[in-house]
Amino acid sequence: MASAEVLAPLDPPSPAPSSGRRGPLSPLARYLLVRLALIVPMMWVLVTLVFVLMRVIGDPIQAALGGRLNAEQIAERKAAAGLDRPLLAQYLEYIGGIFKGDFGTTLTDNRPVSQILVENGAATLELSVYALIVAFAIGVPLGRVAARHRDKLPDVVLRLFAILVYAAPVFFVGLLLKLAFTPLGWPSSGQASTSTELTLQNVHPQTHIMLVDAILWGDPALVLDVLQHAMLPAIALGLLTGGVFLRLVRVNLLQTLRSDYVTAARARGVSEGRVVRKHAFRNALVPVVTVMGMQIAMLLAGAVLTETTFEWKGIGYELADYLVRRDFLAVQGIVTLIALIVGLASFVIDVIVALVDPRVRF
Amino acid sequence: MSTDSTARRSLAVSRFVPGIVRQSHGLQRFMLLLGFAIVAVFLVVAIFAPWIAPYDFNDVRADGVAFGTQQAPSASHWLGTTVSGTDVLSRVIFGTRTAVEVIVLAVVLSSLVGVPLGLLSGYLGGWLDRGLVLVMDALYAFPSLLLAIVVSIVLSGGQSGALSGIVSAAVSITVVFVPQYFRVIRNATLSVKAEPYVDAARVVGVRTPRILRRHVFSNVSQSLPIIGTLNASEAILTLAGLGFLGFGIEPSAAAEWGYDLNKALPDASSGIWWTGVFPGTAIVLIVLGVTLVGESLNDILNPLLRARGGDSGHDAEEVAELVETDPASTAATSTAAAAAAADSSSGDGERLAVLSLSGLTVSFQTDGAPVRAVRGIGFDVQPGEVVAVVGESGSGKSVSSRAVLGLLPETASVDGSAILRTEGDADRELIGMRAADLRPIRGDEVSMVFQEPGTALNPVRTVGWQIIEGLQAHREMSKKDARARAVELLELVGLPDPEQRVDYYPHQLSGGQKQRVVIAMAISCDPDVIIADEPTTALDVTVQAAILELLLSLRDRLGTAIILITHNMGVVADMADRVVVMYRGEIVEQAPVDQLFSAPAHPYTRALLDAVPHLGQEDGPGLLDESGDVVLDVDHLVVEFPGGLGRPAFRAVDDVSLQIRRGEVLGLVGESGSGKSTIGRATVGLQQPTSGTISVSGTQVSGLSDKALRPLRARFGFVFQDPAASLNPRMSIGDCIAEPLRTQTDLSDADVAATVRRLLEDVELPGDYVARFPHELSGGQRQRISLARALSLDPDLLIADEPTSALDVSVQARVLELFTELQERLQFACLFISHDLAVVDSLANRVAVMQNGKLVEQGPRGQVLGAPQEEYTRRLIAAVPVPDPAEQRRRRAERGALLTDVD
Repeated sequence: MASAEVLAPLDPPSPAPSSGRRGPLSPLARYLLVRLALIVPMMWVLVTLVFVLMRVIGDPIQAALGGRLNAEQIAERKAAAGLDRPLLAQYLEYIGGIFKGDFGTTLTDNRPVSQILVENGAATLELSVYALIVAFAIGVPLGRVAARHRDKLPDVVLRLFAILVYAAPVFFVGLLLKLAFTPLGWPSSGQASTSTELTLQNVHPQTHIMLVDAILWGDPALVLDVLQHAMLPAIALGLLTGGVFLRLVRVNLLQTLRSDYVTAARARGVSEGRVVRKHAFRNALVPVVTVMGMQIAMLLAGAVLTETTFEWKGIGYELADYLVRRDFLAVQGIVTLIALIVGLASFVIDVIVALVDPRVRF
Repeated sequence: MSTDSTARRSLAVSRFVPGIVRQSHGLQRFMLLLGFAIVAVFLVVAIFAPWIAPYDFNDVRADGVAFGTQQAPSASHWLGTTVSGTDVLSRVIFGTRTAVEVIVLAVVLSSLVGVPLGLLSGYLGGWLDRGLVLVMDALYAFPSLLLAIVVSIVLSGGQSGALSGIVSAAVSITVVFVPQYFRVIRNATLSVKAEPYVDAARVVGVRTPRILRRHVFSNVSQSLPIIGTLNASEAILTLAGLGFLGFGIEPSAAAEWGYDLNKALPDASSGIWWTGVFPGTAIVLIVLGVTLVGESLNDILNPLLRARGGDSGHDAEEVAELVETDPASTAATSTAAAAAAADSSSGDGERLAVLSLSGLTVSFQTDGAPVRAVRGIGFDVQPGEVVAVVGESGSGKSVSSRAVLGLLPETASVDGSAILRTEGDADRELIGMRAADLRPIRGDEVSMVFQEPGTALNPVRTVGWQIIEGLQAHREMSKKDARARAVELLELVGLPDPEQRVDYYPHQLSGGQKQRVVIAMAISCDPDVIIADEPTTALDVTVQAAILELLLSLRDRLGTAIILITHNMGVVADMADRVVVMYRGEIVEQAPVDQLFSAPAHPYTRALLDAVPHLGQEDGPGLLDESGDVVLDVDHLVVEFPGGLGRPAFRAVDDVSLQIRRGEVLGLVGESGSGKSTIGRATVGLQQPTSGTISVSGTQVSGLSDKALRPLRARFGFVFQDPAASLNPRMSIGDCIAEPLRTQTDLSDADVAATVRRLLEDVELPGDYVARFPHELSGGQRQRISLARALSLDPDLLIADEPTSALDVSVQARVLELFTELQERLQFACLFISHDLAVVDSLANRVAVMQNGKLVEQGPRGQVLGAPQEEYTRRLIAAVPVPDPAEQRRRRAERGALLTDVD
């Protein structure tokens, strides 16, 4: 009988570890370069779009200050802001400014937009991180429970919960939370009590991240105060994203549980718990992470509403404020900033996907 | 034509809603109906708002009496009054009207813009596509609410105020949603575009707008209701967000919930709940209703969660016809054979079976009646024995083996018995065993090899990790020892360089290597029984030979019993000691392998064996004389596919020349990736050659534009591999066959109808099939329709790309028979592309063999397949198992010598 070894060479040559064969770049580096090559034009499109849209409105100076200043003063302000020059020159200056980290200056209070990033960006970051923590804490375990009890009572309840959470605008959830918790004496606006805020002005170095500042100051009472203030906004925003996570984890888990390799793992005697934990769950997380790129955009939009609801002085709050004041130079700067953050975040997500999924890495 | 199709469409729509409800069940139906009910209530409120609401939305006084601000709910103001002294109930009711108006407008506008853009972008590709994708992705990535705000400022803010009120809000939301429609439709278009039925339409020269309309849009459009509903709910939330931030509709123009919530926000801290809770609840309810409808539609319409109807059943009928050609003794033989089989297995008393099944029944719970997939089967397998379970699709062969290990989904219910007898243990009944008791048996005493090694391995874990996992599930082993054992196992199954490959991820291995890994896992704990479920079906024939050798050598070395599930009678003849033949969930015959092939008892077995093409038969078609006109002339053809960033181009076809004359069939054979299909696609203009020329009947067809090629397309027909995918599921059989006629000829409708009937007759199908749809036909019938369509223009050249490889063997036999008969009658030239040497042997005049894009050998059938000159061809032929155990044993012995010689 011909032995297995005789026929073995008939196997087609294996695709050798791809790194050596396909040129100087490792596959991971190539993947990241491709992603970057896709994201840079995307950011350019966004930034250009913002510029075009904001210029189409017409005259930002007139919009903000019209009626309060006479024609001469307005012309003077226009010249000062460079708005009397040709559009192309303005556009090039705008793009050039972005590279230098200069997003323009607000009209109404002469504040560089980059300063808004420094002073208010921390608050938005803080809120987003809290919300993500809440979202993961809610979405991932509940998604697993729902998948495990598919079409049974827990699944039905959780799916309804996810739909309800999605259906409720974040400011309505915020309003309900306020209604429920204000009578209990919970703080429902701002990032900290006025006294805490005043104290924390003196922290050095000041990070503008309230919690970090409070910890640096070293007074547990202040830390507690900051955390208490963060509670309701974090829940309101976190619920929104958590509902999305729940549904994603559930659907992807159900799909991977039906895959052949899960059956194969069961067939070699791997316990059910391990099958879910080690096989299905990790694979189900890959698409979840991918979708998180989109969630960042949703989170930021949600942050604008949440910050307005809870008077949380982040970028979104500032944006809403400048919108009301019709300060479109400020709006242009902040929206540009947000576009860059979104682009950057989606690149970070791509890197995370590459780390989770070896098919991308090799 | 147009009135006809509109009528049909409106009919389809009127059927749509109750159809959806009928397709749903239980909880799903409840959610769907609840969603519909909520949406209906809101619609009614929106339409009749002025009659339902007690006051106008901005009224602060009635009959000269002010309502008062922030009044709690009372008899005159059921829901209280707001901070500006208006009636909450009236505002909520008028807010409904605003919301519905904006949603409808936004959804209609964004689909009107997004759908055509997505269709064009996806179908045409190129720079238009790249540019649009860039812009749409950018818009999509941006926070939608902010985008809507910016647009709403542009539209109504500043000084310009171009649009106002509801239209302005709707347009702002439209800009946000166009990218979503665009993305979904573009992706759907891309996947539909790759479907063979779109290629089939392109091959006959159907113009782009018609392809977009008839083939792409009709298949993409079913996702529209889903996006529409999901979109509608997001539109409501965006509108509310705009209103909340003060960029919605001018407050004097309409009532809007988001605006009201903003005004109610300060009230919340002072305990005034009614101003905010009611508009907020309205938002939640309407979004809930719309989402429920959308989600249920998604569940119901999602093709992933739906089985493609009608496949196996019809094939079974076709096979049943085949069997009943010998009606004399079907029932009698079947019971007699089964009884005899039972006798023989119980009579062989001295060696105890390691696994014996008896009375095994499996049924699946479906929405209708339960489906009985396996109906009381029984057979034994003894240590060191290979028992082949054969049968065509739907025979229940895989289901029964999975039932043994409890690997069926929860909808399956299993009865009967499967006794496992292993040394040192008492007999154990596997059916009905608790999961916790079954787990230690799986992989340790009974293990499995799967059909598709590509999906049986977890892509995000290394192969070593997966082998070690199986080892540690059953043995107390340190990580280090387990790893050493994994390397040992990989070496045992002939994976080269196991020390290094143990850390590879599955995608770094070839198909054959992956299957070796799967087998390494299966033998890792020295199992008593291996169940191999079509272990080589997904593999090329040379790899198949190697894997089968491996399984046999392991059996010899380890004394494992093997249950080999397969549909390939060659593999059976090669491997099996005993054979169990299954048909529609029952065992019709079981016998030792030589007896089964030499003296099959049951008519089904006989029919099955008759249908199997046999490589090396002497009576195949001979060579034609050289006088016929050259129909296809492929001259130094090269096809390259561009590589990605930093990757060289891939040369799929490398300098291939071949000719086919009138009335001649050229069989083009090769393993996967050899480039044989690419030649076929290049011939019909689905793929542009990199260099070289292709001429059909003396006219060059390569390098022509679509337009220049169109009139020439009548000269060739194309039959695709997958009959299910190459017919548009939304076109009737009559339309499918008539499409080439309508595109290429000026025949009147009556003439077209007559031609279609004649073609149906040619492929031996009844004329009334014109009104049926592809899913109502069996696989074999669908492939006959494809053949009829390819022949409708009486082509000079027919290209058949693996036309029967998706079919069961008995169905294949009938399709091939039909093909040969038509070819002899119509005398078209044919390029017959196949991986199956036996099929080619039965019908080709000449054979060409391809490997890695190159033509390695070409010549008369008898010569290439009977006395091959090239080493690769010899190996290829040696690797094919023939359906005759005695002959296969001889071939195997010769092959060993041949291959040793080669090495």
